[in-house]
Amino acid sequence: MDIEKTMVDTKGGNWELEGKKFHSRLMIGSALYPSPEIMKKAIIASGSQIVTVALRRQSATSLQGGNQFWNIIKELDVTVLPNTAGCHTAKEAITTAMMAREIFETNWIKLEVIGNQYTLQPDPFALVEATKSLISEGFRVLPYMTDDLVLAQKLADLGCTTLMPWGSPIGSGRGLMNPYNLKVIRKQFPKLNLIVDAGIGKPSDAIEAMELGFDGILLNSAVALAQEPIKMAKAFKYATYAGRLGFEAGTMQKRDMATPSTPTVGTPFWHQFS
Amino acid sequence: MKISINGEIKEFENKSLTIKDILEEMNYGKGIAVALNETFVLRDKYQETIVNSGDRLDILSPVQGG
Repeated sequence: MDIEKTMVDTKGGNWELEGKKFHSRLMIGSALYPSPEIMKKAIIASGSQIVTVALRRQSATSLQGGNQFWNIIKELDVTVLPNTAGCHTAKEAITTAMMAREIFETNWIKLEVIGNQYTLQPDPFALVEATKSLISEGFRVLPYMTDDLVLAQKLADLGCTTLMPWGSPIGSGRGLMNPYNLKVIRKQFPKLNLIVDAGIGKPSDAIEAMELGFDGILLNSAVALAQEPIKMAKAFKYATYAGRLGFEAGTMQKRDMATPSTPTVGTPFWHQFS
Repeated sequence: MKISINGEIKEFENKSLTIKDILEEMNYGKGIAVALNETFVLRDKYQETIVNSGDRLDILSPVQGG
């Protein structure tokens, strides 16, 4: 069996996110790769259909001859998810989101409002404020948030159908700091799309998140900063898929004692424990 | 008049300029979005939006992001 061909979503077909259907549950960032060529190959190898992008000030001179990065992304035929990275207030994030909507021609926005420069922890208050405003402007807001249950409730009440709690701080590669919190959010919001965004460091982190019942993974550094980004992209493709299958299949209950898996009836050289 | 463009102060001789005038003078093409004094300006409004001395213009375009 060709695993590449079977790696489409199970359980009734494609995964639906914000009204669009996808096969892959892995979303990938476009930053920090050693070269544009490696970025392109890594995105393709990851199987991701959603790629995050950003906006920055650029001089007219640097844009002469076109925007090489943007041309590569356009060639890939992926759904772009613009972010508001670097914004520290609701107003900055709202303005950036509006600019992104015009340039990228999408009403999707990965809403980031940073509240702490050391951990890049999202500011929950500004996040709620910006979400409220952007939803009223017709955006589909995918908020990057802490793993806070009450914040999740507030964002869901505002109309978010996707929530993206962090696993751990952006770029830290520390995996899931608090699986309990993520598990509780999953349990409380069974119908929302939940994506672990930030902190994923290795494929097993992605598997762990997917086994918790999360709907998807968003990562960047784990692939871009790997020794071999293209190979790592593939590893995450399989990991995300494996984790999802594991969740859908339902894991066995843990037991305190060993239980033989091989039948004991007919065992030769039988030793009766006493 | 002096206008801050992407954080750098630029001086213009003409005292009545629109966003469109400034973008043309600086040779900006397509694939950009503009904010005037931290407020987004629709592309359709470049021609009618006057920029005053002391204003801040941010001109953004796509880059890599996570």
